[in-house]
Amino acid sequence: MRAVVYEPGSTPVHGLDVRAKLGFQVGFAVAAFAEPTPPRLAALAVVAGVVLALAQLSPLRVLRAYWPAFLILAGSPVVNALAVGPPWVRPAEAAEPALAVSRVALVLFVGAAYVATTPVRETRGAIQRHVPGRAGQLLGVGVALTFRFIPVFRRDIRARFDASAARLGDQRSATDRAGRLAVAGLSRAFTRADRLSLALRARCFAWNPTPPALRFGRRDYSVLVAGALLALSAFV
Amino acid sequence: MIEVADLVHEFGDSRALDEVSLRIDDGEFCLVVGPNGSGKTTLVRHFNALAEPDAGSVRVDGTEAIADPLAARTAVGMVFQNPRDQLLAATVGDDVAFGPENLGLDRAEIDRRVDGALAAVGMAGRGDERVAALSGGEQARVAIAGALAMEPAHLVLDEPLAGLDSRARTAVLDRLDDLSRDGTAVVVVTHDLRAFADRADRVVALADGRVVADGPFAEVRDRLADIGVDLPGE
Repeated sequence: MRAVVYEPGSTPVHGLDVRAKLGFQVGFAVAAFAEPTPPRLAALAVVAGVVLALAQLSPLRVLRAYWPAFLILAGSPVVNALAVGPPWVRPAEAAEPALAVSRVALVLFVGAAYVATTPVRETRGAIQRHVPGRAGQLLGVGVALTFRFIPVFRRDIRARFDASAARLGDQRSATDRAGRLAVAGLSRAFTRADRLSLALRARCFAWNPTPPALRFGRRDYSVLVAGALLALSAFV
Repeated sequence: MIEVADLVHEFGDSRALDEVSLRIDDGEFCLVVGPNGSGKTTLVRHFNALAEPDAGSVRVDGTEAIADPLAARTAVGMVFQNPRDQLLAATVGDDVAFGPENLGLDRAEIDRRVDGALAAVGMAGRGDERVAALSGGEQARVAIAGALAMEPAHLVLDEPLAGLDSRARTAVLDRLDDLSRDGTAVVVVTHDLRAFADRADRVVALADGRVVADGPFAEVRDRLADIGVDLPGE
């Protein structure tokens, strides 16, 4: 299972300014979280599909990378459809939560396209440029560290999981395995955090480093306008 | 015996292993070498069903590994590259006992195996120490002891000497020699042949996911130099 992380490329989405992409995402999220009617969600699904296609990111890869989130989302309608007593299953009850969670799924797909096409330092640079003062610095560093730390942490957990399986750990109860993985994972996360802190200091970590060059071109304006139109569609 | 036939493993669009075929007999001491990204680690992960072939097959003692992971993992002990990733208990003794406990052995047998494995890596009597308090080299020795305690028919070690001092290296190498003589297939993945060349029966070299040399060290030496493997005495 490969995580969705930034991969250099030359797709149309790679070429956009990070601020245009962020603006479009916000617009998409506003549109998605408006009243979740089937026609609206269908239209947004088409938009999400176009975004993924332009970013050359397979929806299957997004599903595989974020499967725990999609599993939880899928669980909501299922739980709602179950009843304690006859007729036990009421499919009609699942319709409303299914529409509600669909919009979250669509936002996840578009977010994945952003992650796959945007270097972390550009996100940090855009945040620090537009959110003034200490708040922007903290937010920028927080976003940058989170994006860098999560894939490493996932790899660590995966390595522990494999090491356990190699010594037949999967013969143990799920509780035992989960406990071991949690303890080992936390311990590793703290060790990683210590090392990361040391490495950052060793390389002269700065709260306000030279930002990457950001260029807002004509295409970026059109993407930003598309985001604004999506946001406006929420109020129509 | 481990038999690999036309094994293909893909990561997205790239092939980490490209129709690899080889056979490792019981008691054989085999090195798998090659430059970074040549597919060494990916190859050995198939030996105990930690990876799934995109094509081809891996059979361990006649059984398809991916069809029966439990059998594969019982037969093939694995020591990973980074010892910190494979220590799963708070104390040394508990960690080494993790595998034997999963085999359902009785406590006396588990204790015997733990004591034997710790002695083999020069850590006898240190079962009560906290894993987190050990140095990197000591953690590497505990990781090796954890695999030895399973008493597998085949043992795979990925860069097992990294971080070990010379005494620990000698202890581990001698133990691997003993295991090989006793009929255990020993497969060592390494970048560096210097420590192993005079002990190994055979060297398998990978480059770009393909086997580019396979034979006794003396026979494949020139080919290894071509693909940038560090050779002894150079």
